[in-house]
Amino acid sequence: MSFNAKMHVADGAATLRLVGELDRRSAPRLNELIIEAASRQVKRLVLLMDELKYMSSAGLRCLVFAHQKMPRGVQIVLIGTRPEVAETIKLTGFDRSITMEDSVEAP
Amino acid sequence: MIACRLRLEADEEVSRTIADFVGALSQMAELTPRQAYRLRLAVDEIATNVALHGYCDARRGVVDLEGGMDDEWVWVRIEDDAPAFDPRTHDPGPLLAAPPARRQAGGLGLYLAMRNVDAFTYDRVGGRNRNTLYIVRKSPDNGHG
Repeated sequence: MSFNAKMHVADGAATLRLVGELDRRSAPRLNELIIEAASRQVKRLVLLMDELKYMSSAGLRCLVFAHQKMPRGVQIVLIGTRPEVAETIKLTGFDRSITMEDSVEAP
Repeated sequence: MIACRLRLEADEEVSRTIADFVGALSQMAELTPRQAYRLRLAVDEIATNVALHGYCDARRGVVDLEGGMDDEWVWVRIEDDAPAFDPRTHDPGPLLAAPPARRQAGGLGLYLAMRNVDAFTYDRVGGRNRNTLYIVRKSPDNGHG
């Protein structure tokens, strides 16, 4: 099991691509990037989720962490979330506080 | 019947072992990918809760996994030596009612476990916690139905 996350900051958005499996062990890596994103004065935090194959409740804690660390008003957007992962997010009501999109919108 | 003993220690590959164990069981039971995902998540959450709270994180402990199936059900039995705790007593209501942005971190793992299986039982047997998680094999979304 592996997890990889990379961040790209441009046009007022911090975009994180998540690859692999997000669980108790890998969650600290994502939290590190969230802290870095919070320091970059962006207006959107975008998580590219299409390659995230598994997410436990540790991933939900990352979403709580993102809410707490990002400045007020920053929009959190999840793109391309796989059905099983989306089910976890919706089951716990996190879709009420984040935007979930199927794919990257055309510019 | 397949069985596995996990020795929980801080930061070890418990999740990987659980993924392999449940993956093998799910394949034997011919579960759909969605059913296999749900069972893995539920087992992962119960075992993680034992490691974090039952064994108080820093303490070492043992978790035994046993998997089995019959024509109707596939199940995973999880046993540990932590103090008695019935996950069904955990009430996620207040946490779920709070806006996600204002929630405390944690507390949703047991809720996920309960919601992702078709049946759940808890027993205290021989001084051990025994959690058994069940998935219906012949559900509409797999080839058995």
